[in-house]
Amino acid sequence: MKTVLVHPERCVGCMQCMPACATAHSRAKTLFLATIEEPRPQPRIHLGAGPAGEGFPNRCRHCDPAPCMLACLAGAIRRDTSANTVLIDPDLCINCASCAMACPFGVIRYHQDFAAPPGKVVAVKCDNCLERQDQGLVPACVETCAVGALTFEEPTAAFRRETERVTARLLIAMEAAMRPASVGFELLLQGKRAAVAMNPPRA
Amino acid sequence: MLRHVIIGNGIAGVSAAEAIRSLAPDAAITFIAREQQLPYSRPMISQVLAATADFSQLPLRPSDYYEQLRAEALTGQEAVAIDWEARTVETDRGAKVPFERLLIASGADPRRLKVDGANSRGVFTMRKAEDVHQILGAIKGARHALVLGGGLVGFKAAYGLLRRGLAVTMLIRSNHPLAMQVDAEAGAIIQGELERHGLTVQVGVEVTAIESDRLGRVARAQLSTGQALDCQMVVVGKGVWPSVKFLGQDRVRVDAGIVVDDHLQTSAEGVYAAGDVAEHFDSARGERWVNAIWPVAVEMGRIAGMNMAGRSVVYRGSLSRNVIRIFDIDVLTAGLVNPPASPEYEVLAARDLRRRTYRKLVFREDFLVGAALVGHMEQGGVLMNAIAGRIPVDKDRERLLEPGFNYASLAPMRRVVKSEW
Ligand SMILES: Cc1cc2nc3c(=O)[nH]c(=O)nc-3n(C[C@H](O)[C@H](O)[C@H](O)COP(=O)(O)OP(=O)(O)OC[C@H]3O[C@@H](n4cnc5c(N)ncnc54)[C@H](O)[C@@H]3O)c2cc1C
Ligand code: SF4
Repeated sequence: MKTVLVHPERCVGCMQCMPACATAHSRAKTLFLATIEEPRPQPRIHLGAGPAGEGFPNRCRHCDPAPCMLACLAGAIRRDTSANTVLIDPDLCINCASCAMACPFGVIRYHQDFAAPPGKVVAVKCDNCLERQDQGLVPACVETCAVGALTFEEPTAAFRRETERVTARLLIAMEAAMRPASVGFELLLQGKRAAVAMNPPRA
Repeated sequence: MLRHVIIGNGIAGVSAAEAIRSLAPDAAITFIAREQQLPYSRPMISQVLAATADFSQLPLRPSDYYEQLRAEALTGQEAVAIDWEARTVETDRGAKVPFERLLIASGADPRRLKVDGANSRGVFTMRKAEDVHQILGAIKGARHALVLGGGLVGFKAAYGLLRRGLAVTMLIRSNHPLAMQVDAEAGAIIQGELERHGLTVQVGVEVTAIESDRLGRVARAQLSTGQALDCQMVVVGKGVWPSVKFLGQDRVRVDAGIVVDDHLQTSAEGVYAAGDVAEHFDSARGERWVNAIWPVAVEMGRIAGMNMAGRSVVYRGSLSRNVIRIFDIDVLTAGLVNPPASPEYEVLAARDLRRRTYRKLVFREDFLVGAALVGHMEQGGVLMNAIAGRIPVDKDRERLLEPGFNYASLAPMRRVVKSEW
């Protein structure tokens, strides 16, 4: 199954992915109309800046198990296993922000959304553009990224092997670095595993 | 085919049962559950009180949940004793349920008020759906409600009653609200916010007696200040105790909760505990602790279930954490927010009083051990995982205080990890 891969070292910080994402999650689906829409469409990918100002496209890793899903007080977060995507149901969400505290990547935002009940603030994050994928399109952030920092690919066997190798090493390194009684350990490692899968370090 | 018995169908019990079922398709699973309802969202009862949700939205699992899980459910029955020789759990209806593996996931019960008149009609606690049902039933005749306790549940009760049109006074023994979660500075911001929205807040005060009218209904409360307040309803939010009455003496070690080891087994062989009832280890405090919060109950339940089903999984301890939206400000806390006064700890704080935001970070040695965010809490999970994962933060600590702080800000630390191999 194809997934979005992030290659932060290629990111030039142009921020094009953000309006593209907001547009894909607008009612109108065109940039021009999206800018005048209410509620204002918001991106689900966020350009973080590293210490030297380097860009870092930060989006939901769809972790498994997903810490946000385990923390959700309303049962509003579920995994669509066929699409390997963690989804938030805006009808069930109670905007408690329990998921904000759970997400190791800080990618969940709280605002109104056209797909949510009118006037209701809900938790919002990347949904892998499942709607676009159904129409045969690639996720909007990938489509717009001109430098290949975001790609939509079948993780190849070689890639997977590399990922597993690196993951194993990372986990050992982390385990060594952590004292025995650290919490959320399992969840954090899941997050790390997902991060590694998304950002395989170049050897 | 092992017989698994689970006391309590709260989220810890349910998470355990699901873990057992996923690993052991043939295992027998029996719930003994005091509440009749399907597993439901306990935190959401406060949404029902505030009329932002209704009772029908509480269940977290489908109506044929127990059939789907192939579990037996003795609902509406309370475990009253354990026969350790026969290895059975006795219920208040006289059933004797045999077990080979037992999970105690009985959660916690609210602390009762211990003053004269505490049993008057109109004195409530808020722990289960039925409590909110009763509060709603009593709201009609009430104009003024007292909420005792300035913790998370106290605030949620006060908020709900205010939304239902009552005048509400919060009486808080500490010197500021959320004293268990935040420091005095954040507490002052929160208190201002509560008052701005019409709650009356009195700090440093306790109720000394409750007086009722001829019909036994709450009429007035006497306070430690000598003042008396007329009221028609009192909601007690003074914390919880682990629910362990049925355990009897000395078979299972109980401290602030049921003491469990790293596989969440109690001092009794084959008997496990998880959730609000269990005491394991708080990694930021570095000591045994009960963290009675939802995500911890889920984690512990899952891991207890896996161990019960025969897969050895270690629980690494929990971290206290909370997030609450108080009207227009968000408050998120994780780990050790009020460290003991000691040179071991370094505290960094930043504030913007106009925007009513406040951030406080607590470090010990190379590690972040606590964080409190008032406002802008979207990145709280990143901090919480830096605490939980003991990711070393040895330089540029101030960066973590910046409003633009994000996951990428931790990049140099990730590089540290990378360079280690
Ligand atoms: C109003 C409110 C708001 C909250 N908000 C939050 C929040 O925002 N975030 C958060 O993290 N946490 C919150 N919590 C705490 C959270 O609800 C608990 O941490 C969580 O429910 C613990 O789950 P548990 O399964 O361990 O225990 P419980 O949910 O207490 O479940 C235990 C079950 O066992 C049953 N039981 C007890 N004794 C027996 C017996 N002898 N026999 C049979 N059954 C028995 C009980 O009736 C209960 O149904 C809130 C709690 C309340 C009350
Ligand atoms: S904000 Fe919504 S999605 Fe997030 S934990 Fe709360 S109910 Fe679940």
